[in-house]
Amino acid sequence: MINITINGAQLAVEKGTTILEAAQFLGFPIPTLCHLEGLTPYGACRLCVVEIGEGARAKLVSSCTYPCEEGMKIRTSTARVVKARRMVIELLLASCPQSKTIQDLASKYDVRQQRFKQEWETCILCGRCVRMCHEQMTGNALGYHGRGETRTIGTPFNIKSEECRLCGGCIYVCPACQLRCTFTDKENAICNGCVNLSLPCVEKDKFKEMMCYMDPCVACEISGTHYSNL
Amino acid sequence: MSDISSIEELKKLNSIDDLKKLYWSLFEKIKNDDKPQLVICSGTACHASGTQEIIRGMKKYIIEKSLQNKMALKITGCHGFCEMGPFILTKPGDAFYHKVTLDAIPKIIEATIEGKLVEELLYRDPKTGEIYYKQHDIPFFKKQQRTILAKNQNIDPIRIVDYFTNFGYKSLEKVLSSMEPKQIIEQVKTSGIRGRGGAGFPTGIKWEYLSKQPNDKGKYLICNADEGDPGAYMDRSVLEGNPHSIIEGMLIGAFATGATHGVVYVRNEYPLAIKHLTIALRQAKDIGLLGENILGTKFNFDIKIVRGAGAFVCGEETALIKSVEGKMGEPRQRPPYPVEKGVYGKPTAINNVETWANIPIIIEIGGAEYAKIGTKNSTGTKIFSLVGKIKNTGLVEIPMGTTIKELVYDIGGGAPEDFKIKAVQSGGPSGGCIPVSLFDLPIDFEKLSEAGSIMGSGGMIVMDERTCMVDVARYFMNFLKSESCGKCFTCRKGTQRMFEILDDITKGKGTLEQLDLLEELALVVKDTTMCGLGQTAANPVLSTLRYFRDEYIDHIKNKHCTAGVCKDIVGAPCQATCPIGTEAWRYIAHIARGEYEEAYIALREANPFPSVCARVCSHPCEKMCRAGVLTGEPVAIRALKRFITDMIEPSVYKPVRKVKDNAGDNKVAVIGAGPAGLTAAHKLSLMGYKVTVFEKDSEAGGMLISGIPEYRLPRKILKEEIKELIDENITLKCNTALGRDITIDNLLNNGFKAIFLGMGAHKSKLLNIEGEDLEGVFPAIEFLKSFNIEGKKLAHGKVGVIGGGDSAIDAARVALRQKDVESVTIFYRRTRNEMPALQHEIDAALDEGIELQTLVSPVKINSENGKLTGVEFIKNMLGDVDASGRRNPQPVKGTEFFAGLDNLIVTIGDTPDVGYISYMGIEVNKWGTLIVNQETLETNRAGVFAGGDVVTGPNTVIEAIAAGKKAAIMINRFLNGEELSKPLEKKMPAIYIEPMVTVDTGEEELKRIKLPTISVDKRRSSLEEVEQTLSEESAVYEASRCMRCDLDFTYAEKIKREQAEFMGDIMQNKSVPEGEVLV
Repeated sequence: MINITINGAQLAVEKGTTILEAAQFLGFPIPTLCHLEGLTPYGACRLCVVEIGEGARAKLVSSCTYPCEEGMKIRTSTARVVKARRMVIELLLASCPQSKTIQDLASKYDVRQQRFKQEWETCILCGRCVRMCHEQMTGNALGYHGRGETRTIGTPFNIKSEECRLCGGCIYVCPACQLRCTFTDKENAICNGCVNLSLPCVEKDKFKEMMCYMDPCVACEISGTHYSNL
Repeated sequence: MSDISSIEELKKLNSIDDLKKLYWSLFEKIKNDDKPQLVICSGTACHASGTQEIIRGMKKYIIEKSLQNKMALKITGCHGFCEMGPFILTKPGDAFYHKVTLDAIPKIIEATIEGKLVEELLYRDPKTGEIYYKQHDIPFFKKQQRTILAKNQNIDPIRIVDYFTNFGYKSLEKVLSSMEPKQIIEQVKTSGIRGRGGAGFPTGIKWEYLSKQPNDKGKYLICNADEGDPGAYMDRSVLEGNPHSIIEGMLIGAFATGATHGVVYVRNEYPLAIKHLTIALRQAKDIGLLGENILGTKFNFDIKIVRGAGAFVCGEETALIKSVEGKMGEPRQRPPYPVEKGVYGKPTAINNVETWANIPIIIEIGGAEYAKIGTKNSTGTKIFSLVGKIKNTGLVEIPMGTTIKELVYDIGGGAPEDFKIKAVQSGGPSGGCIPVSLFDLPIDFEKLSEAGSIMGSGGMIVMDERTCMVDVARYFMNFLKSESCGKCFTCRKGTQRMFEILDDITKGKGTLEQLDLLEELALVVKDTTMCGLGQTAANPVLSTLRYFRDEYIDHIKNKHCTAGVCKDIVGAPCQATCPIGTEAWRYIAHIARGEYEEAYIALREANPFPSVCARVCSHPCEKMCRAGVLTGEPVAIRALKRFITDMIEPSVYKPVRKVKDNAGDNKVAVIGAGPAGLTAAHKLSLMGYKVTVFEKDSEAGGMLISGIPEYRLPRKILKEEIKELIDENITLKCNTALGRDITIDNLLNNGFKAIFLGMGAHKSKLLNIEGEDLEGVFPAIEFLKSFNIEGKKLAHGKVGVIGGGDSAIDAARVALRQKDVESVTIFYRRTRNEMPALQHEIDAALDEGIELQTLVSPVKINSENGKLTGVEFIKNMLGDVDASGRRNPQPVKGTEFFAGLDNLIVTIGDTPDVGYISYMGIEVNKWGTLIVNQETLETNRAGVFAGGDVVTGPNTVIEAIAAGKKAAIMINRFLNGEELSKPLEKKMPAIYIEPMVTVDTGEEELKRIKLPTISVDKRRSSLEEVEQTLSEESAVYEASRCMRCDLDFTYAEKIKREQAEFMGDIMQNKSVPEGEVLV
């Protein structure tokens, strides 16, 4: 067991426990976006930063990825932490202002304005969908393109992937842009089920037993194959 | 070409004894080999300057003349002095031939065979012309300690034999035959070596961790050669020039830590390094130094090369590991550290190329001996790539703890032209800028990081006045926003947002709020990112903000970029640099087209004293002229101005008068009829105000008439120009002095609503040594005034002038023109390079026969019967660089000497003569100049403004005119009750003037014209103007050299306007000519 202190409260945790898990166990609130139980910690959104270390060596680390170490003293809401979080939220708000999750976060942390040039992006590149696809659905259909400012998430060569089973898990886990599949645009829609009113999934035998996250699915409901009708 | 090139000895070595035998046989062979050798650097930098051609030429010559048996040729990697490439070293002798051309090859080869030197090709000191016969005497090499780089020049990188004969693999032999792994680690720990990649983690401790890891599945050693910092190339040079030293270092590391696999991660952009390393690895494998059972000791280790695809972030260790594994280069959370979980989850130690190259040296000399080099916490030597605005570009290896000053000025040779060095940028994009005021800083890990920068891999980019620090930050941020991996939101978006703000500032769209936001954001990015890239990404912003905040504020508030870099706010550099914003490009363009009247109007619009400035302006515009920055030959702007003012009558220009209804009620008083006062009066008169100018002397003109001698500025021209300015709105009252005849209160009581103080600086500073009141000693102003105004010739016999500014030169040249003067000598405390006077004025003075004694300071003035007999001087030497970027003179004890003089003129600067002003309620600072608000020129009394020399101390004419113009605007605002601190409107190039089509003759670059002058004999006997006007032909030629920086703006404006008109025509259904296409 590893002994740590969070905001003065002492705790013994198992080796390999992350700071976030320990803090949540004690009930200290730490906001997260890219973190999801069941997926590998990734540390992309930097919202969950906490302060560790003493004096000049004090630093901020992402609590979702940082493992607890013996004797560690963790502060989850010092001025430095809150300042950083508020700036992260401000940056999020400047990029994806239409996301309900981000608006809620901003309101919770009292971020009332953002001072950058307004952008209207739909993705914060938290990578939940990529990990969901790889780890939970063993799909490997999604990945990252490019680096730096040109980084995007998509399928290889941005064409419909053979690996994709249209499970919709990627949409289901997305924290920022839940409204993504309202597209009725054939090219961009994920399954086109709602456009064609045909079921993309049941046509393929091998998907029969698959878990589906596309709920509610218009096509499914109309064709009467929705689980509620079974 | 040498005997030892035969490979028969290089059979596989099966034991340590085999290796020892190999050494013996090789040394036997070179013992008898005393042929002279020519060593040619063939690093990538020298390839760029044409070394391949030279090598080909030499080989051809040697074969043609069958000289193979008389001399040898050795092709090596980089030696470091890249500025001077291609260069050749002779062995023995160490002579250094630089910038070798193809024609020089026969000479060099013949001379080498005969054992002689080709003197004209040897390196000379650029200043003194002193020839250096040995490589290590050259200042660039002298101060270095080249433990790693010096090996490069002895070794042909693709011949393993060369490495053996330079004691290569000796350390490996020592380690395998006599040391335990623990001992090796102990030695490395004692040496105190810290990672050369930038973070500076102690290598010994890293190895110890690795050796303690369980060794069941294998361990990895990685050499990080992903050198991506702009301007840094030391790792490349080591890999190219001495790849076996890396292999040896890694072998020793593997033996010490129990590692079994080695990887060299090298970026694909280093083809030569990859080639040499591949050859070296194959050779080492063939000879049995890599692979299984090395030298029969059951020690296994193999190295493979992994080529990086050019992502900057892959230099970060966890990203590098992913890249080695073939995944996307993306850092991950540490812990677990690579030492626990690295490549494929196995324990891994990653060290930089330079660290590995240091390992054989540590084993060879012992850790304790190595620790003696450098400072306590940063031991050893470090290679820096010294680039940017510096004379000696190249790779420099210095012991840690050397100061930046030594690096930049002694080794680097200082700034290349007469620009001042402003800062160095160390550590690449993640580093920071260190200003010249901190150049005493010793270079080690802690000190650099305290100053807000980092050691990094060792890039040192020198920046001078021509570098804009905001632009530097913007440049690096642009790099980082593309090179961030994009995983951490704050790094990806943060760098984008910082770039956005910096871009706004350089375009003149920034606000002060944005500046605060920038700083806030930078600190958060630094705090919240995962890997080293993000944590240091804010450094370029934070360090420039820390040391150069003024420049940011200048960009935001005044939309002004001093360095003339930020194109969108600079416009044309000549216009931006001119204190009064003269559109030099405009009148030059008109001259090129032969439209001289238009040229005069363009000139006169900005400057009420065109003829004066055409003669005596310090022309800052020429310094910033882009033709000059690029080719060293700026357009002769002042000479062109002179050409125009001599040709065109002033009456061509009709000033625009804005008559205001109530302006006449507001009387303004101007004190001092110098350039500042007259400009202010003229501008106010154009606005309709009634102005009274009060002048202390009997004539208007101020310093122009009393300070500047006739041979530079003929009285007739000056008087005409002043007459032209004084119109019906202006009353000139001479012989009326403030403090004597009038006071501020009494002016205000007599109906003057505002007052401009422009009294100038008319009191000479004193040396503060005994005897300055003697007969025959004159302060400069007194001497010049009595000659220029009253025509008195005070000087006789031997005349000495102390000082180095413009008035020193003026005084000396005036003295020379006086009848009884035998000789004139100027004494200056620094060297000619540091003299503040205009260069062409110094040249003219020397031409006229004035002597110049530099590096001397007066100590004592000697006299006999109250009369001057001479001055005792002491010699100086140049010491450290002070805050002004110049070297401070320091007296050398025991070098006093006596100079017999009949007259002494002291010209070490002037101050305002305003002892009375504080009684009138105006604040004065400790230097005796008036205190004003820099932005509004307002003094502490409402309605009283001041400008010119009385505020700045002695300054240029153009600055005084600028102050006068500004004062007029401020007084107008004051009288209209407007806000004073509103920033002044900035003018950008707007008027499009069609450029003349010049035919490219394909000749050499166009040279600047030489100004015509009268002969030296004529000058001594008369006060005739020395400089003459340009001929029309040469003026047009010179004007055609202008690069027309304005076109970027004016042409775009023109196109836009034409499009708008064109669209307007379509809208109104006007016929559009057929075939015309929208641009």
